[in-house]
Amino acid sequence: MDARPRLIAALAAHFSDLDLAEEAFDAALAVCLTQGDPPDHIAGWLMSVARRKGIDIIRKRSAEFRAGDAAALIKEGAMDMGEVIALPDPIPDERLRLLFICCHPAIALETRAALALKIICGLPVCTIARLFLIGEPAMFQRITRAKAKVREAGIPFDLPERRDWPERLDAILLTLELAYTAAYQDAAGELDAELSAEIGRLAAMIADLFPEEPEALGLAALITLARSRETERIGQDGAMIPLSKQDPVLWNRQAIEQARAWLDMAMIKQQTGPYQIMAAIQLTHARRAFHGETDWRAIASLYDALMMVRPGPVVHVNRALAIAECKGAELGLAELDAVDANRLSNARPYYVARAKLLERAGENEAAIKALDSALKFEPPRAERLFLQKWRDALTLI
Amino acid sequence: MQYMLLINESEDAYAGENAAQVMEETLAGHMKLIEKLAASGVEWSGNRLREAHTATTLRYSGKGEGALHDGPYAETHEELGGYYIVDVPDLDAAVEWARMIPIPGAGAIEIRPVWPEDE
Repeated sequence: MDARPRLIAALAAHFSDLDLAEEAFDAALAVCLTQGDPPDHIAGWLMSVARRKGIDIIRKRSAEFRAGDAAALIKEGAMDMGEVIALPDPIPDERLRLLFICCHPAIALETRAALALKIICGLPVCTIARLFLIGEPAMFQRITRAKAKVREAGIPFDLPERRDWPERLDAILLTLELAYTAAYQDAAGELDAELSAEIGRLAAMIADLFPEEPEALGLAALITLARSRETERIGQDGAMIPLSKQDPVLWNRQAIEQARAWLDMAMIKQQTGPYQIMAAIQLTHARRAFHGETDWRAIASLYDALMMVRPGPVVHVNRALAIAECKGAELGLAELDAVDANRLSNARPYYVARAKLLERAGENEAAIKALDSALKFEPPRAERLFLQKWRDALTLI
Repeated sequence: MQYMLLINESEDAYAGENAAQVMEETLAGHMKLIEKLAASGVEWSGNRLREAHTATTLRYSGKGEGALHDGPYAETHEELGGYYIVDVPDLDAAVEWARMIPIPGAGAIEIRPVWPEDE
């Protein structure tokens, strides 16, 4: 349901209540699903039904609700079909406003992005919990508490004044990064198919709103570069195609140019940060579409820089792969040995990298073992198919 | 919505060498805030409290009757020194007023929504 984020956002603004917006939307969707043919203007239709459902929910919630008020509210919320058809579609963009609300500094820092992922991206709590590496019940409680805080503490539903924007930026960027990570990992499209495009649009909007913030530009460039290869990531058999095997001719050059422009703007500020470095890495990969080859030396030094500003086992694994490209598989493997695989909550990328370098070093049996280890970490469908195909090819040799 | 702005400030800030001056400046800050509140038309109330050593606390251990103690509820570096209640549209507006409360030295303003009577 690709209109979901926009509708939830519009409903939240309408009711000034995040919980109610979600509940009302779900109730409207349930009505829609029980009807045979979907209405033509589905977004407008859902919006008007959800508004009425929202009023029903308010009525149920309020113990001392007086009948007179209910009648007045319902009358106000009711719409006949003529009005529904006239309802403007697309519904005005409320998502941005909602993103700022979810990232209000009165909400605990570690909860802001989680709340935004739930409300704006519609990610299931189990997915959000995985992104934050905590248990689902704990995440559920955090989000519930945050929604109550928004409602009871009277966090305003207006776009904050411009001077209050910067203190919300970090949480906004983190939200977009994690949302895109979730969409990207879900290459086979088990989540909302529109999520990736949605995050791309939001990141571009944030870059436009914060042209003075190099990290905002960096993140928009990063997401846009990843999206420029999106359609080439999955083969016809549904298996993932790794970057090195993709045909760069098919990448979206317009997107690459846009990302390059953002990154150029960011570099002028001379305040480096992780998003700019990650975007620079992806831009170096993207240059293969123009120059025909990959500058691995540049990529290796960018990973060195990333290790300094945002060290982590996944960055370490990727740096080992870059070193292998520059100096050979043996040195890459030596670098991989230095990675503490136990620190990885999901060691799949580590074992995939090992398999790649072991294969290159001619150690096929060890490579197969590494692939088996990787497959134990429940890869999403597209990656699983890719790893299995790879494993089959290694067994045949 | 009504918000209570609880002023937690360090009483030591009023006890140093230039105590009289700090007190004078802080009071002037409060007077300025009160004038602004009056001019803005925001409904408000508020009080300054006597020092924490004048407090008496009725403490409940969870079983049986409360016992009286000499002193404030929380033994912290900052003491509850006063409060305002402002009636404003939302949290951001409450924060804006809270920022105008003068705090000499270290301290904190807690901003709490008042539970509405009709809920």
